[in-house]
Amino acid sequence: VRIRFPSLVHSAMSGEEEENAAELKIGDEFLKAKCLMNCEVSLILEHKYEQLQQVSEDPMNQVSQVFEKSLQYVKRFSRYKNPDAVRQVREILSRHQLTEFELCVLGNLCPETAEEAVAMVPSLKTKGRAHSDEAIEKMLNDLSLVKRFE
Amino acid sequence: MFCLSELEDTVRVPPSDLNLPLEVAIKKALQKLFLDKVLSIGLCVAIYGIKSIEGGFVLPGDGAATYKVVFRIVVFRPFVGEVIAAKFKESDSNGLRLTLGFFEDVYVPAPLIPTPNRCEPDPYNRNQMRWVWKYGDDEFIIDDSCQQIKFRVENISYPPVPTERAEDAKPFAPMVVTGTIDDDGLGPVSWWEACAPISDDED
Repeated sequence: VRIRFPSLVHSAMSGEEEENAAELKIGDEFLKAKCLMNCEVSLILEHKYEQLQQVSEDPMNQVSQVFEKSLQYVKRFSRYKNPDAVRQVREILSRHQLTEFELCVLGNLCPETAEEAVAMVPSLKTKGRAHSDEAIEKMLNDLSLVKRFE
Repeated sequence: MFCLSELEDTVRVPPSDLNLPLEVAIKKALQKLFLDKVLSIGLCVAIYGIKSIEGGFVLPGDGAATYKVVFRIVVFRPFVGEVIAAKFKESDSNGLRLTLGFFEDVYVPAPLIPTPNRCEPDPYNRNQMRWVWKYGDDEFIIDDSCQQIKFRVENISYPPVPTERAEDAKPFAPMVVTGTIDDDGLGPVSWWEACAPISDDED
């Protein structure tokens, strides 16, 4: 692993960009997002996998290894597998006034109770924010419904 | 967690790749430049796509063509306070080392392992010390039988590239994550699955 310093144009996605036909379309909300849940990364990397095989001269080289290991990791630690489920998860979480970061942590760790959710994302209970236990439980309940219909 | 980042950089396509379709050649060059590299924004794990390509000038004396490319990459970017799932890699008297597979420099130092605990020689691995957490009458061993270990990011550091290295030095780690497993819901997942749920009446 080495260090490289290209010029950083943006650290976030621009809302105005067009979807490139070669890129995976998983929904408008996703493309405007800055942070990605493991399940979203899993879809991206699976899609890219074939492309990587075509371009790389040596499939067993170090570069492919990092890609494959990342794919292995996100597949193992994703609760949601198909693109519709992934899209629904982001939609549900987007309705609850969460930051990008909070949304992804919850989508990754899938807490079962409000208590667990707050333990993982303590910022949910910061003063001034409206997240009652009932609101959190409702959100987690909506999420658990997504899993059932996969 | 993972993030999508947009970057601009100058990319050189070697003469041997100039027969490829332009996007393929550029993507190949980007992969070589960025995959598995630590940038200020995180560890790059994939090239997501190319937004624009400009240029294609061949500089004097150089057979390669140079392009200005705007593109997006997927990076792994841990945040302080984030809870991440990992697996056990190894341990010694300083603490634990955890791995995500594609990233292996997560360290849980001894003070961030729940107490009371003890560190003892690993009976299955002579070169290793293992950590054991004592909770009441139960003892929990932390080793590679743990399927999943959740840790919370306490710190991320980016050591400077060393100018000289001994031959047997450990591979250089450009990004090092320090984590804790000393809190509710952290540590091996099996620790929490065995707990009975706390009823609301007890609060």
